[in-house]
Amino acid sequence: MRRLQSSTSDYYERLLLRPLPQSSLLASFNFRSNESSTSFEQQNFRYFPRSLGQILQHAHTKELHLRFSLGRWDAASWGQRPWDGAREGGTGVELWAWVEAQSEEEAFSRWLTLTNALSGLFCASLNFIDATKTIRPVMSFQPEGDHHDSSNLHLLHGTLPHEVVCTENLTPFLKLLPCKGKAGISSLLDGHKLFDATWQTMSIDVRPICEIGGSECILEMEQTVDMVLDVDRSKRPRDNPIPRPLPIEEIACDTSKHYNAEDTCYPLDKSAEPSWNLTEIFGRPMKGACPLTDEESEGSKTVCINVPPERTVQVNTTGPYVETKQADDTVRCYKLPTGVDFDLLLPEQQMNTALVFPQPPLFAARSINGHGQERGSVQAVIRNPSLTEAVEFVYLESLPWFMKPYLHTLRARLSTSPGNPIKETYYRPAVDRHRGTHLELRMSIPPDSTLTLTYDFDKAILRYTEYPPDANRGFDVAPAVIRLISHHSSAKSGIYLRTTSLLLPLPTPDFSMPYNVIILTSTVMALGFGNIFNLLVRRFVGADEVQTMGAGGLKGVIKGKIERLKARFLGKGKKDQ
Amino acid sequence: MALLSSILALRRDARILKLPPYLSALCILVGVVWLLVLPLNEYSRNTYVSENALLPGQVHTYFTGSEHNIFRAYRHEVAALVDKPVQERSQKLGDIFRSSSLKVATQIYEYHASGRNISNQNVYAILQGPRADATEAIVLIAAWTNMAGEINHSGVALVLTLARYFKRWSLWSKDIIFLISGDSTSGPQAWVDAYHDSHSPASIEPLSIKSGALQGAVAVDYPAGPWGHRYDKLHVVYDGVNGQLPNLDLFNTAVSIASGQMGIGCTLQRMWKHDDSYQERLQTMLRGMISQGLGHASGPHSSFIPYHIDAVTLQTVGDGWHDEMSLGRTVESLFRSLNNLLEHLHQSFFFYLLMQANRFVSIGTYLPSAMLIAVNFTITSIALWVQSGRSAPVPNPASISSKSPKPDMTVAKKDGAVTLVPTSSLTIIERRLFLPLAFVGGAHFIGLLPLYIFNNTRQTLLPTAFNSTAIFTILLPLLTAFALSLFHRPTPQETTLIQCLSLLLLGMFLSALATLNFSLSFLIGIFASPLSFIRPIHPPQPNTPSTLTTTNRKAMSAVVSVLLAALNPVVVIRAATFYWGEDIVDVLVQAAEGWHVWGLWTQVVVWLVWWPAWFAGSVVVTAGLFS
Repeated sequence: MRRLQSSTSDYYERLLLRPLPQSSLLASFNFRSNESSTSFEQQNFRYFPRSLGQILQHAHTKELHLRFSLGRWDAASWGQRPWDGAREGGTGVELWAWVEAQSEEEAFSRWLTLTNALSGLFCASLNFIDATKTIRPVMSFQPEGDHHDSSNLHLLHGTLPHEVVCTENLTPFLKLLPCKGKAGISSLLDGHKLFDATWQTMSIDVRPICEIGGSECILEMEQTVDMVLDVDRSKRPRDNPIPRPLPIEEIACDTSKHYNAEDTCYPLDKSAEPSWNLTEIFGRPMKGACPLTDEESEGSKTVCINVPPERTVQVNTTGPYVETKQADDTVRCYKLPTGVDFDLLLPEQQMNTALVFPQPPLFAARSINGHGQERGSVQAVIRNPSLTEAVEFVYLESLPWFMKPYLHTLRARLSTSPGNPIKETYYRPAVDRHRGTHLELRMSIPPDSTLTLTYDFDKAILRYTEYPPDANRGFDVAPAVIRLISHHSSAKSGIYLRTTSLLLPLPTPDFSMPYNVIILTSTVMALGFGNIFNLLVRRFVGADEVQTMGAGGLKGVIKGKIERLKARFLGKGKKDQ
Repeated sequence: MALLSSILALRRDARILKLPPYLSALCILVGVVWLLVLPLNEYSRNTYVSENALLPGQVHTYFTGSEHNIFRAYRHEVAALVDKPVQERSQKLGDIFRSSSLKVATQIYEYHASGRNISNQNVYAILQGPRADATEAIVLIAAWTNMAGEINHSGVALVLTLARYFKRWSLWSKDIIFLISGDSTSGPQAWVDAYHDSHSPASIEPLSIKSGALQGAVAVDYPAGPWGHRYDKLHVVYDGVNGQLPNLDLFNTAVSIASGQMGIGCTLQRMWKHDDSYQERLQTMLRGMISQGLGHASGPHSSFIPYHIDAVTLQTVGDGWHDEMSLGRTVESLFRSLNNLLEHLHQSFFFYLLMQANRFVSIGTYLPSAMLIAVNFTITSIALWVQSGRSAPVPNPASISSKSPKPDMTVAKKDGAVTLVPTSSLTIIERRLFLPLAFVGGAHFIGLLPLYIFNNTRQTLLPTAFNSTAIFTILLPLLTAFALSLFHRPTPQETTLIQCLSLLLLGMFLSALATLNFSLSFLIGIFASPLSFIRPIHPPQPNTPSTLTTTNRKAMSAVVSVLLAALNPVVVIRAATFYWGEDIVDVLVQAAEGWHVWGLWTQVVVWLVWWPAWFAGSVVVTAGLFS
């Protein structure tokens, strides 16, 4: 309640920086803008972007989740995902929304309106989310917002795994922010660095939040950008990004090796935390606070860094700033000055302590097995690292229609027990060229065991025109979405993880072949047709009959023609008689 | 109509029936000559890179400077691991990969072939491309030991150094997998099988971490020890298992980067000296054909090709002035090119014969050669079929002496005309197919025995097995012919049909094989070509004059049988190993390993296509001894 009142019609932003192992840095940007639903309906937009608001109203969309992702989260070394995976999507673009409609057909047509409008807004190929790429998940997604009347709400979900996320998607994303990347933490977002990240995801979530029992609602738009930067790579200046070998003097050699010499150097691991600062890492300085954020409360501390207490963090700014420490001094937050640059400097430092990253509840990997052009199988390996707790989850697969799974070959094996881990199956088979396969499985994994899920599939042969221009690359299959059910999490957004996308090679024709065939058949046709046509229309006459043409020249020709005409008419006349 | 009837009349023309042997001989001659003209400039082409995305040699390479110091250190580390147990070696190699923050995993594999136990361990590391989404990967391989069994010191060290260097680049759009396989053939096979989950889980460990679809693989073979060795040329090895080849674009890219960008000469098929003369081109091509025909694994890259992953091995040869860094830069540039690929390599040829590093012939040009040789068997077979349906030739009345009995005549009447026709030319000859079919089927079935024996005999017993098979297969036609003669079989017609059916199958198999493994089809076709021309030497018909005495006839049969015995596949294999100075046991052990590990099917072709055809031909000739 308190949050609701204080956050009505306001704007909130926060950047959380967290150094990860292997000299990586997680930067988690979070922006929230609220609008009361009455002013939203009156199209009285303040922090909520008008462009997006009007699209949502036009498409009758009550709740929207849009994700742009690139790269992989390395769960084995980086631990639990930011936001428990709820603010990330599969590789490419992922979109799901609750659309208000009276019937399924109406919901789908509004969904198409929505995807087409968003496609224009975000410069992404969202308009390619058609019936074949749309599914209606049953168990995997729950509305995050408060909806009074959910009977008319339809959940639709679509993915574009092949969409390459790039700067043209970031620019419209930043334009939705009130400070538009000019001030506040969003001034750090630079396309060059963002898309050089090892892993990055941008998300937009729009949901209504209502007072319990009350009728007053607000519409909240949350935008997040999470990225993992490689510190060494990001520190390279933009005009000299080539990782040339360092001069040998700058490499720490292991002098204890017997062969160590002037020309032989066994490189030592760098144990020290690398030095970095915001300007270097993000390629541009932070331009002070966004003036629209709160002046004093919790919301004013817009930059936080999660490092062990012993780590030195220097602040470089000319304006006034406030530093506060939270969570046993492991999180340091800063209130930024307005109008002047702000920078954090972390020198190179030998560390004795390190932060413990929470272990992810599940690890998942998926791959295509087998080879050849006819069939294959998919294998998903899901591991529960917990020694004590069983995990129950929903596994969602959305497969393209040309990948035809055989459900009877679906096997789920546990490494520890012979039982069947599948509790519930929801399956909607594909219809060629009309819709894809939708498979949802509710499963549970006992503690400390691995679940291997396999199923076989056939590869369909596409029509000549259905291949994309880069047909020999293969076809992308959307990542599987895993939603944890049993885990104690109070957040309404849930805990998610996604596998990587797959590349499915289909039988591909030699596209130059049709042209060869056309040329060959045309030649054969021309020769055959020419000869037969010649035989059919040519009139054969005896040599003695053409006497008149003899050497008569033009005269003879004309004479001959007359003779022929004569013969024809006379011949006819004879027949008539 | 007139044309049709005159063509039909030709069926009976004695000249037409005399034609097939000459036609067959012409096919073989043209086939061989066709192959011999391929190295000429008019029939071969210069290689070119079809795939525009590859852009070979268009990038600067930066693998120099302090990387060289690190390379030397890693080479010392590798040298220190030579006598260490496998586990310790894998641990240390994994640690070096881990220090470059790569994901590392190991794989234990074990194969059994010829009573030998091939077991070792693969270590591999995955560099997750910063621009990649885990859908595609390229592989850099260094086998711990190369094909000759030497420790690949510098190759392994180079892969370790390149892994550390590649990690710093942010432009990789595909994952890069660094594989250090336990050996050059079984290790990569176990790894690539497990990568596609088509391994036998009992003896081969599954891979714990994987990446996306493999797009290409490059292996380095540089066995120079800890103090280095400067090499002269790069030997590009490209043959895959069963004669499959990588896309020509990959080979061309490797050659154009090495020779064009780095200035390292490229050579192939162990032709260390090649000055582009006709003889050398031909020799290169023939060596390539023999290697392709044998279908054995020729390097760590070979196992990848059956999975439609284009792969080559770069091997350093000779004494020269190129060092490890130029090999490293070649690999760097090659990986930059592969990284550019938007689609799987598909533009260029998969079927080609190379005669120099930058000269090739494609399938359209060379295929007729093997096809003509295969067709010669089919022509003979058709001729024999027609012959088997004809009655014994009617002697020309003019040449019949008064002593010989007059042939039976029949009075034929048609449209009021009356004529005398020899009875034998009117009777309908029925083909007795049971014995020929059973014989040809049985011959192919017997082929399974040596196939099984050679693939499942212990190494120590292989010489005995080989010698006894040699003696047995040489004597078998004799015994079979003798056994059949006890039943007064086969009759001349059955003999003809046996040869006809056997050649029909041979022609069919070889023409099908020519599209898959041209070289194997061509080589077997050449060795089997005499089978088209042998004819049984039957005792003369009672009513025809005999030109040969019985002794002469038997002597001729014996001579032909002995000549044919020299073309027995077992004898040919023995002679070939003797010619190349190979040990027959080594060859058999390799073949058995190929059967059990690489999925080699050259043996199948030898024992189930070539040997039965030879056996049938041999029996046909030997039958003359007992008739």
